[in-house]
Formats: sequence, structure tokens, C-alpha cells
Amino acid sequence: MSKPAVKRNMLSRIIPAIGSLKERGLSGWLVILGAAIVTSIILMTLLAPWISPFDPTTKGINVGAPLTPPNSKFPFGTNDLGQDMLSRVISGGGIMLQVAFLSVAICLAIGVPLGLFSSYIDGMFDRSICLIMDSIYAFPGLILAIAIAAMLGRGVVNMALSIAVVYVPSYFRVVRSQVLSIKEMPYVEAARSIGAKSRTILFKYILPNVVPSIVVVATVNFADAILTAAGLTFVGLGVEVDVPDWGWDLTNGRRLLPSGAWWVITFPGIFIILLALGFTLMGEGLSEILNPKVGE
Amino acid sequence: MRGTRAISKIAIVGIVIVIIVVAAVVGYFLMQPAKKESVLIMGTTDTVESCLDPARAYDYFGWEIIQALGSGLVEYRPGATGAAEDIVPALATSWSVSQDGLVWTFNLRQGVKFDDGTEFNATHVKYTFDRGIGIADPEGPFVGIGYGDIIENVTVVSKYVVKFYLKIPFSAFLSLLACQASYIVDPKYAPLNQVVEYKAGDARGSHPMGLGPYKLTKWTRTAGRDEEMVLEANPNYWNATGGYPKTQKIIIKFYADSASLALAIDAGEIDIAFRQLSAADINNLKTKTHLKVWQGTGAFIQYLVLQEKRPPFNNPIIRQAVAAAINRTAIVNTVFLGQVQKLYSIIPVGMFGHTDVFLTLGDPNYTLTRQLLAPLGYNETNKLTFKLWYETSGHYPQSPQLAQMLKASLEASGVISVELEGVEWTQYRQERIRETMDAYILGWYPDYIDPDDYIYPFLHSSGGSWLHHNYANPKMDQLIEWARGNTTASVREQLYEQIQELMAEDCPIIPIYQGSAWAVTKSNVKGVYLDITQSWRHWLVYKE
Amino acid sequence: MTLRVYIISRILLTIPMILILLTMVFVIIRVLPGDPVLLHFEKTEHPEAIEEMRQKLGLDKPIWAQYFDYLFGLLRGDLGKSMHDFSPIAEQIFSAFPATLELAIYSTIIAVSIGIFLGVEASKSYNKPKDHTIRIFGIVTYAIPIFFLGMLLQIIFAVNLRWLPVGGRTYPTMEPKGLKMSLSQLPEGFTIHLLLSCMAGLMISILCFAALKLKGKKITRKILGILISIFFIIWILWAWVGWYFISKGELHIATGLYTIDSLLEGNLYKFAEAIRYLILPSLTLGLVLSGVFIRLTRSNMLETIRLDFVTAAKARGLKETTVIYGYALKNAFLPILTMMGLQFAALLGGAILTETTFSWPGLGRYIVDRINFRDYTAIQGAIVFFGILVSIVSLVTDLLYAYLDPRIRL
Repeated sequence: MSKPAVKRNMLSRIIPAIGSLKERGLSGWLVILGAAIVTSIILMTLLAPWISPFDPTTKGINVGAPLTPPNSKFPFGTNDLGQDMLSRVISGGGIMLQVAFLSVAICLAIGVPLGLFSSYIDGMFDRSICLIMDSIYAFPGLILAIAIAAMLGRGVVNMALSIAVVYVPSYFRVVRSQVLSIKEMPYVEAARSIGAKSRTILFKYILPNVVPSIVVVATVNFADAILTAAGLTFVGLGVEVDVPDWGWDLTNGRRLLPSGAWWVITFPGIFIILLALGFTLMGEGLSEILNPKVGE
Repeated sequence: MRGTRAISKIAIVGIVIVIIVVAAVVGYFLMQPAKKESVLIMGTTDTVESCLDPARAYDYFGWEIIQALGSGLVEYRPGATGAAEDIVPALATSWSVSQDGLVWTFNLRQGVKFDDGTEFNATHVKYTFDRGIGIADPEGPFVGIGYGDIIENVTVVSKYVVKFYLKIPFSAFLSLLACQASYIVDPKYAPLNQVVEYKAGDARGSHPMGLGPYKLTKWTRTAGRDEEMVLEANPNYWNATGGYPKTQKIIIKFYADSASLALAIDAGEIDIAFRQLSAADINNLKTKTHLKVWQGTGAFIQYLVLQEKRPPFNNPIIRQAVAAAINRTAIVNTVFLGQVQKLYSIIPVGMFGHTDVFLTLGDPNYTLTRQLLAPLGYNETNKLTFKLWYETSGHYPQSPQLAQMLKASLEASGVISVELEGVEWTQYRQERIRETMDAYILGWYPDYIDPDDYIYPFLHSSGGSWLHHNYANPKMDQLIEWARGNTTASVREQLYEQIQELMAEDCPIIPIYQGSAWAVTKSNVKGVYLDITQSWRHWLVYKE
Repeated sequence: MTLRVYIISRILLTIPMILILLTMVFVIIRVLPGDPVLLHFEKTEHPEAIEEMRQKLGLDKPIWAQYFDYLFGLLRGDLGKSMHDFSPIAEQIFSAFPATLELAIYSTIIAVSIGIFLGVEASKSYNKPKDHTIRIFGIVTYAIPIFFLGMLLQIIFAVNLRWLPVGGRTYPTMEPKGLKMSLSQLPEGFTIHLLLSCMAGLMISILCFAALKLKGKKITRKILGILISIFFIIWILWAWVGWYFISKGELHIATGLYTIDSLLEGNLYKFAEAIRYLILPSLTLGLVLSGVFIRLTRSNMLETIRLDFVTAAKARGLKETTVIYGYALKNAFLPILTMMGLQFAALLGGAILTETTFSWPGLGRYIVDRINFRDYTAIQGAIVFFGILVSIVSLVTDLLYAYLDPRIRL
């Protein structure tokens, strides 16, 4: 067929998706709102080098007097080193976004296949992996993340790794419970009786049905990763201090709050909440759409 | 009907809650214990680093408590500036030194009792120093200051007379005896070969002191971290007749960070906040009418150490170039909001021997930096690159900010590129010993008030071995040994000038700033003396 | 399977689970890169000190010997010695644990109360503004960094209003001591004590016997057997515990939970102070955690409300509150119970951020401190302690669940 038909196919795929979201009512709006928040923050971070009024790194020290309250020149005020908070807020989301995306990627790469294979194969292997996953799951997440990050050292990759370790069990569990229920379904039995290979069954039949639950877990993972990254930075395991980072501004701002400099912690704090909120809204909306609780 | 039972269950829960609340409120207002008058509550973010035994304790807070619990032969009077006249009798009433400076004789105070009634005498002095030198704890002051290299032996001449035979005519010896490492221990609580550690539930058994203004009646460490300490007046204190201690009971509360401490003093939960409040907090609390901010003389310094084992800092020209690129004004004004002073000498301002040698290298002088580095091939496209390390545990005030300012200052030269690396304190010490760090920031409080304490542990090849920066200059060693062995003030002053000029040439360490001690108290608290000894004297403080 | 079989098998299952956990922890800590003693110790120039540390910690023995020491030590309650100051880790953990327990209890109570109440309200007005507001509230409170929220509350209530304290567990020197009774007046002698405890056991079993007879229950052989075992258990326990206190000369019951200990001591002022200091930390933690419960309650209630029996109850004319709280909530409660167990167990590991903000001396701060000090033996001890604790909590939760949910017993 000619090109125009191809184009129409793509468009009709994207727009109907949004259209169908709108049809879903509130849940759809939640997803759209959440996605909008997240996308705008990502855009802001990507465009940061061009849109920040001042340099947010150590080169931007003392562009203003330390700890000036928000005014016309510095809408978000300055911090204790005289750096412009607006620039730091614009550029500071990068670290958290990187950590969040990286940890989700790692979890998807490890948790999903593990869950699939383990529950499909069953037996001793499954039982032992389950036990390990349950032990990790039961352990308080932040402390485990701190322990692992302390061992590995500072930096984006290590933060993402420690968060991933904490979150893999969630993916594992969700995938496993889905697989277990789907495994016994008639059409899977039918496929097996035809002689389909396990791999085919796994990927062609089971995986597509597991995807919705994974998506929901992933959004929660994103939100939690952001908050855990803030927690890791609080105990000193974040990135190096000369990299603009909301988590560091939060920790530093907390130190300055009693002396009345409320703007250092508030603005990065608001953006962290917004980012986590964005992902959570997407998760809430998608969860309702994909697993409707109430017959409408 | 079953329905009503459900409602009455809620009603029961509600009634129970109301009863609890009423009981609590009634209890709170009616059963309040009478608030005793002579109690002070002190808040701090410090913690005892290892123990309260002078044979090992070498941390600021450990020494602060040891000073409350024990006494030395001599002490610095409140408001001391470091002059010889500032050393006054404590457990010794008078003393004399031989012509060659090698034999010191002390006459001890009579009638001073330990808490079990034993009278203090010369044997206790000998026991203390023999024990400290004998234990030779590698992490302790006896090894760090080198007591064993200074004292030959301690002799009991008679019940109240003791003689110290020295190996070298150490001119700062009297000052050394005033520091907390030299405080007299109670043999009953201090085994000869063992360091006394924290014992849960047994505050008295957790320290070997006994002749000081206070007794330790409570010390709780929950899970390895100090929670609370209670000091109560010692009736046997040798200066009790002078009316000391002025406050009968002091409770010390420990806070996790400066933010919690600032909130606590602002909310009126503690009477005194001492160490560590950030510069912004100090400025803010100065504006509060219900609080008073005390500033003391500073003898705390911070400095940059450069590793000479390997490039780039094995070359003194590069070290000088780095020294010339440090903008102390920006550090003092931005990081510390003007509360500290610029330091151009390893000996602090106010102490004899201080000379602003590093000023010759500029403050900053980027032209000099570029001039020095150009012949070595460093320029805008090929920058001098190295890692600057700092600690993240709050051991020093505002380390991350200081590190960032240093980076900004060095990079403003245009020919230097700095990578920051922050690690927490325990690891920081390990990296120092393993000599992995190229450039690192450290700090120093005086042990004894003498320039020797700022020279020997830094510039002498064996005295400075703890720094692990591999600096050794035989000429420097010789000058230092002459200076510490000489007793004439003018000669020493000249020697210290020579030493520091040599230091500016070699640039092994670059002094950055000198800080003050700060305390914030309620406005009715009096008797706070923050002098050059950097010691907090608990027994002088009281509330009106 | 019947309830009894389920309970017994569940309890028995806990033992191998704990054993596996202990072994895993042991292996992981040993597998970590670097010699723990060398990594920890500062001065490498003193090999004798390093050897000494190894000996003190028992790290110089072969691996299998260490493993058995480890296991048998645990039976005795010995979790090893800290690398920091060689004090027993069990002692350190038990001094920090009551603070964490107290905070966990009250935070969970607040989180669950707020969560259930708001969740029910939201489900009642599905898709209306009230529902949306409550949902957003739940999401936002979860997303606020806890040390930010905590500090805000501190500034408002402690510094500006001066109603509540900034941090700590109670006013210095006001720690409740619990119940202390001097036992010096009791008759001496072990035989007399044995007789007394025997009499106590007899009395209690006879009371139970009489109560059962009064209720009209038949005394079968099985019940007789239970009564006799009650007698023996009480006799032995009373004798053992009682003798322990008598030999000490005083009876000292202290839980470590300040709210309970102050009541045991009978001092209402200390009770009030303990509560005053608890309000901000548990409120902060409870608020942040309530979001989870709001969401869970809401979704479960939405399902349950649509079910037939609820419509039937409403049709019968019962009040709305009765229907919601008496019927619907009871049925929606089980998943909430599981979540409570999970959250409570997680809180027992220590809420490090809250503890730092409010200077609360709990396990969270302890563990993070140990991690910073690279105190590997203490980290291992803490993980073991926590693992056993979580196993017990999940055991209790599962048992409660089985008791409440008849479906399990099928």
C-alpha cells in the first residue's frame, strides 16, 4: 500500500488510545494528568542547559548573596552558597529521573523473566526463589537500599541498583501470581495439548496478559524510586554534591530551614512531590483501567 | 439487635480514648514534679568517639567530658590567651623547673580526696603517666603527642612532691600538663594495662577520673550512640570551697544534626546549645531576644593536605600553584557568613609564632597560579586535574559547602579542574591511612596551647606521620626540634618564623580558615567562657 | 485442612524459614568483598591489634566453626559482638528496640485509623468530589518526603506554638522505670516458693474447671488433659520466673515502652510526657503511611459494598453506619489486616528518616550508624534479629487471618 495508509495506521493507533482513555472517565484523566506532569518535568530537565537563567553548578556560586529570599532577580531565592534556586530546580531533576528509569529497567530485565520462569517451571527452584524474594520483600526497603548503596558507593548507577534490588521482589510476586492463575486457563491447556513449546506459551500467551500488572507495578516503582533516592541522599549516599540534584537540595535545605530559609527546601520539595505524584497518578489510573474493580 | 452492638463497640472505644486523654491531661498538670532549680540542660550534636579514658580518648567531646570529671596538675584560667601567666595551679600548688629544662618539680595540693576517701598524692601522678605511656594506645594522645618521647620518667619524691624527668627540654611541658590527656586517674577505676570503656548501667565504672568538679551519674548509649549524660556536683572537688561547680546538675542531650539542635534551643527545650550549629543558624539565633549567642576565641583550624607520594603533588611548584588559587575571602563570607577568619599561617591568629606567610602566595593570585603551571604544560586546554576529598559525616562544620567553594575557587583560575569526592568519616580515615587521596581537607583543635602543637604534628617527618602525606624535610625537622627544645621566647619566635617560611616554600599543607567556638544559650545563662583552650568549662556555667 | 492443622503446620514452617534466613545472612556477610576486620580497622601498622580483634570476635576460627557458634549463640540469645566497641550486639539491639516498637505501634494505629476512616468515606461517595479529595490527599501524603513533613510539624508545633517537644522520647530524667516491687518481705527458701507456685497452679486449674462446669460443658478426657497441662505449665512458669525475681530481691517489670512503663509505675505525669513526645513522630509517620490504607480500604470497600448481602442489610432498614462498619468493613478487613502486618513488620526495622528527624533512639538509626561504621558483625546481628521478628509477625498475621477467614480452613 502507499505511504499515506501507513501514516494513518500509526496516527489511528495513538489517538484512539488517548481517545479511549478519555472514554474511561476519571481514571483516564488521571493517567493523562500524570503523564503530562512527568513529561513536562522530563522536558524541563532536558532543556535545562538552555532555559536556566544561571549556572546551577559550582560555577554558579555567588551569583547572588547567600540565602536571599525569593525576589524578582531570583524567583526561587538563593541557597547558602549563593546559587540560584530556580536554575537548580530546573536542572536538578536529572539525577532522580535517571535513577528511577534505570532502576525500573533493571527490575524489568531481572524481575519479570525471573517471575515468568520460576512460576512456570515450579518445583524446588521456584520454592527457593520465592523464599529469597519474600525475605527481601519483608525487609524495610530504605534500610536495605542504604546497606547496598553503602557497599557499592555513591553514584547514579549504584543508587539505581540498590533500589532495583529492593523492588525486584514486587515485580516477581505480581508476575508470579498472574502466571499461576493464567497457567491453568483452558486456552493455555489447549495450546499445550497442541504441542506448543513452553517458550511459545510463555511469551505468546502468558506474557501479554501479565503486562498490564507489570505496568502498574512499574509506575509505583518509579514513584518509590524517587522517594528512596531522596532518602539515600539524606543519609549521604546520593551523587556528589556539585551535581545539581533535588535530593541534595532537600537535605541541605532541611539544615537551613530552622534559620528561616524556607525556599531552599520548599521548591525542590514541591517538584519531587510533583514527580512522584505524576507517576502515582498514572499508576492509579492505569490500575483502574487495566484491573477494573467496580463494574461500571 | 446486632446492629446496636456494632455502635456500642465504637462508643466503648470512644469512651476509652476520652478516659486516656483526661488521665493524661490531669496527670500532666497535677502531678508535675517540682522543677529543681539548679539544673542545666545542654544540647550537642557531638558524641563520645571512643571512651572517656585519657589514655585513649582523643576526640573533642571526650575531652570536654573528661574535663568535667577530672583535674590535672595545672589548668588554664578562664579567658586564657595562651600566655604563660594563664597557667594556674590545680592539683599542683607550685612548681619549678631545673636550669636545663629537663627536671620539673611539682608540689601537690593536700587534702584532696577521691570518692572513696583515699587522699590524692604523688603516687597517683606517677600511676597516671606510667599507665598512659605504657598502654601506648595507637589511637590515643599519648602516642599522638608523643608523651613517651618527651617524658623519661616520673618519680615520687615524697607524698606531695613529684618530679618529671624529661628527655628533651620541652618548652610547652607545662601546657601539656594542662591538657586532658594529662588528667589524673583513680587507680581504683583505671586498671594499669587496660583502657576503661563504656559500661551500660554503670556510669561510675565507665570512666577512670575522679578529682573533677562533677561526677558522672548517668551515661546512656542506646545502640552505640550517646543518648544522655548526667553530671552531678562532686562534693570532694578541690575547688568546692570556691563555690564550684556553680550548677549542681547538668544534663546533656544528644541531637542527630544541627537542624534538630537549632530547633531545640529555639523552642526552649535546652538551656545551652554547643557544637555544632551552622552559620545560618547562628545568624538567625542572634536575632532572637530570648537567646544569647556567645562567640569565643578560635583555635580550630581547617587546612588542605596534599599527597606527595605521587604526581601531581610530588612537585612543590604545583603545590604552590594550588595554594595561590585559594580564595579565602569567598570561603569565609559565603560558607561561614563571616563568622570565621582567613588563615595564612598554620599557627592560629592570636597565638605567638603566627605569621601570615601564605599571604605571599596570594589570596587568590590566579596570575601566579597560571605562571607556575604554564612551564609544566598546564593551561586552559590541558588543565591540572585532581580529586579533592572531604568528609560527609558532619565531623567538621559544613564540609560539603567548603569543598564546593574550594572547587569553585580553584577552577576559577582557568587551569585547574577539580573532582569532588565525599565519603563518611570512618572511610575517610581509612583512605587517609591507605594514602589513596590526592588532596583532602582536615581540621585541628589544639591539644595544648603552644605553637609546637600546630607545627610538630604537621611538619615533622615523624610527628606528622598520622597525616600520611609523606612530607619529610630534614631541615624542617631540625628547626622543629630546636624550637620545641628551646625555652627562650625570642629564639623560639625566630625559629617558628623560619619554619613557616620554609613551609610556604614546600606547601605540604595549606591553611584555609580559623574558626571560633560558638554557643547559644537562653538569655539567663551566665558564666560561659570560650577561650583559646577551646574547652567548655561546665563548672563555671549557671542560670540566673 | 482444619484450623488446628493449619496453625501447627504454619508454626512448624517458620523454623526452617528462619534457619534458611540465618544461613543466607551468614553466607552473604562472609561473601562480601574485603576482610571485615581489615576494612574496619584503621591502623594497619599494628598487626597484633588486628589479631586481637579477630580473636575477640571469633573470626579466626574456621568457617564451619563460626557457623555453629553463630547458630548456637542465637539459641542463647547471643547475637555476637560489635566491631566498634566489642559490646554484645543483643544488648545494643534490645536497648534500641523498645523505642522502635513504641513508635511502630502508635504510627500503625494512627495510619490505620486515618486510613480506614477516610477510605470508607471515600468509598461511600464514589466518584464524587469527596472521593477525589481523599484519594489525592492519600497520594500526596505518601509522596511528601518524611523529613520535610516532620520538620514542618516541628517548626509549627514545637518552635512557634511551643505545644509539643522537638524530639526525644521524654523529658530528661523522666524515663519511666516500670513496676518495681521489693520482694524482701516474701518468705525465703526455694521449697516454700515451689509449694506456693504449686498452689497457684492448682488454684487456677480448679477455677477453670469450675468455670467450665458452670457453663455446662462436659468434662471429657481431652479437657481434663488440658486442665492438667495448664496446672503444670503455670506451676513451672511461676516457679521459674518468680525465683528469678526473688533471687534479685525485687520485682522489676519494664517493657521499655514508655507509655506502658509509666502506667506500671503509676506516674501519670510521666505517662503524659511520654505521649506528648510521641505525638509528632507517630503523627508524621502515620500520616505518610495512611495513604496506603486509604487506597486499600477504599478499593476493598468498593467491592464489598456492591455485594448482595450489603444491599440486603440496607433493605432491611439498618442504619448506614451499622451496615458500613458492622458488615461491609468486617468483610473487607482481611486484606487490610495483612497490610497492617506487613507495614508493622517494616516499621519494626526502624523508620530511619523519622528517627533522625525527631532524635528518636530506635533501631533505624542504629542500623544506619552501624552501616556507616562498617560494623559488619552488628549489621549481621541486626538483620538476623529483624528476620526473626518479621517471621514472628507474619506468623501471627497469618494465624489471625486463618482464624478470621473460614475459607482457609476448608
